[in-house]
Amino acid sequence: MDKILEVKNLKVSFRTTSGTVKAVRDISFDLERGRTLAIVGESGSGKSVTSKAILGILAGNSIIEGGEILYDGKDLLKINEDEMYKIRGDKISMIFQDPLSSLNPIVKIGKQITEAMLLKNKASRKDARKEFNNLLGILEKNMAAATGDAAKAKSLCSTFDKFCIQANKLENSYNIDDSNAEALEDNVEDFLFRASKKQKLAVKDTLRSYQKQLRSLKDPFYTAKFQSRLDAVADRLGKVSGDYTAPKGKNAKIAALPESIISTLEEMKALLKDMRSQVRPDFFRIGLYSLDHPGEKLYEQDIRKLNEDTLHYLQEHFMNEFLTFEDKAVAYSAEESRKKKEAVLAALKEARTYFAGEFDKNTAMKLCKELSDKVEDSIDRLEIVKDSYAYTFRSSLSNGITRYFFYKAHNPKEEARFARQSKKRDALIAKGRNVDWKVVPKVVFDLEDLQADILSVIDQLTARYESATTHTGELNFRDRSVEIVHFLKEKASKVVYRVTRAMAKEKAIKLMDEVGIAEPRMRFNQYPFEFSGGMRQRIVIAIALSADPEILICDEPTTALDVTIQAQILELINRLKAERSLSVIFITHDLGVVANMADDIAVMYAGKIVEFGTADDIFYDPRHPYTWALLSSMPDLDTKEKLDAIPGTPPNMIYPPVGDAFADRNKYAMKIDFEMQPPMFQISDTHKAATWLLHPDAPKVQLPKIITDRIARMKKAGEQNG
Amino acid sequence: MDNQETLLRVEHLCQYFGPVKAVDDVSFDIKKGEVFGLVGESGCGKTTTGRSIIKIYDITSGSIYFKGRRIGAGLKSYKDEIKSLKRANKNASQEEIARNNARIAEVKKEIAQAKHDQKYCDKDYAKAHEAELDAKYEKLLKEAEGDPEKTAELKAEYDREKRVARNKKLITQIQMIFQDPIASLNPRMTVREIIAEGLVINGIKDKEYIDQKVYEILEMVGLVREHAGRYPHEFSGGQRQRIGIARSVIMNPDLLIADEPISALDVSIQAQVINLLNELREKLGLTILFIAHDLSVVKYFSDRIGVMYFGKMVELASSDELFAHPLHPYTRSLLSAIPLPDPHSEKNRTRIVYNALAEHDYSVNKPSLREVAPGHFVYCNDEEEAKYKQELAQ
Repeated sequence: MDKILEVKNLKVSFRTTSGTVKAVRDISFDLERGRTLAIVGESGSGKSVTSKAILGILAGNSIIEGGEILYDGKDLLKINEDEMYKIRGDKISMIFQDPLSSLNPIVKIGKQITEAMLLKNKASRKDARKEFNNLLGILEKNMAAATGDAAKAKSLCSTFDKFCIQANKLENSYNIDDSNAEALEDNVEDFLFRASKKQKLAVKDTLRSYQKQLRSLKDPFYTAKFQSRLDAVADRLGKVSGDYTAPKGKNAKIAALPESIISTLEEMKALLKDMRSQVRPDFFRIGLYSLDHPGEKLYEQDIRKLNEDTLHYLQEHFMNEFLTFEDKAVAYSAEESRKKKEAVLAALKEARTYFAGEFDKNTAMKLCKELSDKVEDSIDRLEIVKDSYAYTFRSSLSNGITRYFFYKAHNPKEEARFARQSKKRDALIAKGRNVDWKVVPKVVFDLEDLQADILSVIDQLTARYESATTHTGELNFRDRSVEIVHFLKEKASKVVYRVTRAMAKEKAIKLMDEVGIAEPRMRFNQYPFEFSGGMRQRIVIAIALSADPEILICDEPTTALDVTIQAQILELINRLKAERSLSVIFITHDLGVVANMADDIAVMYAGKIVEFGTADDIFYDPRHPYTWALLSSMPDLDTKEKLDAIPGTPPNMIYPPVGDAFADRNKYAMKIDFEMQPPMFQISDTHKAATWLLHPDAPKVQLPKIITDRIARMKKAGEQNG
Repeated sequence: MDNQETLLRVEHLCQYFGPVKAVDDVSFDIKKGEVFGLVGESGCGKTTTGRSIIKIYDITSGSIYFKGRRIGAGLKSYKDEIKSLKRANKNASQEEIARNNARIAEVKKEIAQAKHDQKYCDKDYAKAHEAELDAKYEKLLKEAEGDPEKTAELKAEYDREKRVARNKKLITQIQMIFQDPIASLNPRMTVREIIAEGLVINGIKDKEYIDQKVYEILEMVGLVREHAGRYPHEFSGGQRQRIGIARSVIMNPDLLIADEPISALDVSIQAQVINLLNELREKLGLTILFIAHDLSVVKYFSDRIGVMYFGKMVELASSDELFAHPLHPYTRSLLSAIPLPDPHSEKNRTRIVYNALAEHDYSVNKPSLREVAPGHFVYCNDEEEAKYKQELAQ
């Protein structure tokens, strides 16, 4: 599984007038591609703060005390606002709890949904072109270096570029027609259904618009086989809509549609269905052939045969040669990088001994620069999955050093200020004055911790490079070349993929329909105040999804919604997750929702992750008393006995407890829970929990009865369902 | 449960806001001592029903009976009847006209009665109460004649009770807990003032008695005496909801309307509040109308459940019966959407989609709320009734 997002040792606190609130205290987790991570906990447990840190939208009084959030070769905590701007909303999107504050009150809903699509499309085409050219350039350079044949490498790469773009142009035009046909089919279905229920309809206008939409299907690959039928249906539509006169008077409402219209629409539906189920041409294969043979009417051939023929053509004339060259380039680049990595390892070792001792700022910064240059040079640029540690090495290291020296100078000043102010205050109080101000709490960092941070940056990269230099023998270069071709293909398809206003509208309407908004066509032109709370929340979800993000963060998106709508939205998110291999971070306190959504679950309490595991681990084999308490505090449909409510309230995070934060409210708490923080005990590969109960010396504790009963019930139900 | 006394009866309740039919012809009974759950999606009229019962709105049509007295009455159904009778008069025989006119006069009398009930239900109740007191003390005073000390004592007591009785309102025996504990507590009042406000309004002036009562109630809802002097902002969400509950319970109500009392609370606090309501219910013998959209909680807490959809009651049954044999397609769709804390069943769950247009054909045969099994009511027409009965028989 590849990790799309890694959070490491994140610590966040907030400065307030009454002290520093430690909201998140050293949490680490990974988010894997295509999976859902649910973060569960009470309000104030730090779950929302974590998600906001990922998006870089923490409040102004927040202090990030340490840690890393690695995404796509970047550390999100250290990049600047411009870079963050590109990621936020585009790659990582968020659905907020309160829909009111996320919609612009004076812009129509339709515009708010399509705006991002149009803007993003423009930007992503540019970016895709850049990435495509970049990777192809590196490939070409490596090909030339590996084979010594620079001219051939150049011609191969330029051919690849040309035919890729050609193929995607053809495909794009095909796709536009396909999506239009799909929308049209849905509309006809809807129209017929409403007609059968004798609802009021604008018959004439609708038929005319159908005719227009049918005629707008123009892609030769899509329509060539159906041209005559298409014309016939369009003509008939024109005729029946001309003949139709709306009934007047008392019975207007319940008059059925004339038979001729219904039969025409049925025919149209059948036609669209046939068109949509036709064999799809493989444009990537056709691209090169059509480039070499301009003017040939390929679309008149049988598509299956065309797919076969062009595949042979592509392989013979281009692909085989290209791949042999590519293999060599990949092998060459990997070997080069391995050599450089070995050199870097030595340098890293030296640097480590330097940073472990005393060091001064100038030499440290110089060393950091040299080292980073070396590391960046050693990166194998032909690896599609970026190694976050290598890519973020420069920023992490220089940041660590700067922080170290900043606090080295700042700590004594801060201490002095604090002492001065406290003294003044104490003196005033001693005089019997009424003091109405408080001493601003001091913010000091342990220099040893900061030094350890620097060392850990170096250690992590060392570990990474050691495993990389020892495991190179197992690499399969052919797989990697194919991977590169796929990556280029995908980027090329983004370069030509142009979203028009009409397409964006269709897509928005489809999205609105998907999130369960009735009559989206009418709603498209309304303002936010015309929607109820639940409806607004759905619009917000539609907007978040419209940008096609890689990671979706949902902060209690369904808490304010009814069960039916909640179920719809959860289904929608689940479906999109499967379709787009979306990774989701789902924040909620509803365990039913978690059971539905989550692959992995992190249970948070008082700024720490107390238990982490797959959904099965947490629900069928919970280990932490807090997880037990959460599970037993809510009734399910079979619960009859008294609920085990959690007594008391969460601790004040200005003064976090010394031991286990949950000890005060925990009826299983032992003496050690109040004295020492429990470490994470690994229970299985996927499951870990931080509680002293898992220590070998701890007494055996029975699970609460309400949970054992429920697990038994669930197991029984599971067996019955097979 | 059948032979229990009916505490609240709602008959053909309609609440229209202009053209919007928020509640449309809803009828149900609540027996003494039971918890009646009301569920449905937002905007289906469940909150409006609760508010109409406690007379926050003047209802459009229908009647509400509490302890056998009519406390709310709407006029629309009467006016409609008069209108249709007058229309019928246009082409009717002499005899029919006479009969219709007699009926119109009757209906007009009913309107007058309804108006009176709507406006003076509390006064009538207080009068009845006063009469009772008069009778009681007359007898006691006669017995104590000749003993001046005891007479004076009795007279003082009589005066106090009479003052309370004069202010006694039937409607205060229905109390409401609101969804949002922050918005429903006045930030400028201390907890003592908030909780005691109801007593003060009802004419109780004895400070010691009030304090005693407030402390008692505070302890009953799981707070401590010291909390009485604080302000609402000093409390957490769960504690605020406890204050809200204390405020309604101090009036010693017979019926409690809980309008989503736990929706705005944190998970761990929700269970505390549910447990508290359960305890109070046993201790004080409360009857509760529980409005919520979390079906697991409603199932856990309620004896009977009514399902509402677009202002109509579509199904009503005991909670076990409803979850075991849901009949109306909307109920089924609702039940299929409940998220359960079980990953395996959750991941294989198929949700049933409800589309009112596709599901029912009411163009010819009109539906109504019918009893398909003892205690199990479904909104359906003849054809569907037969179908449901057959399903239940299997």
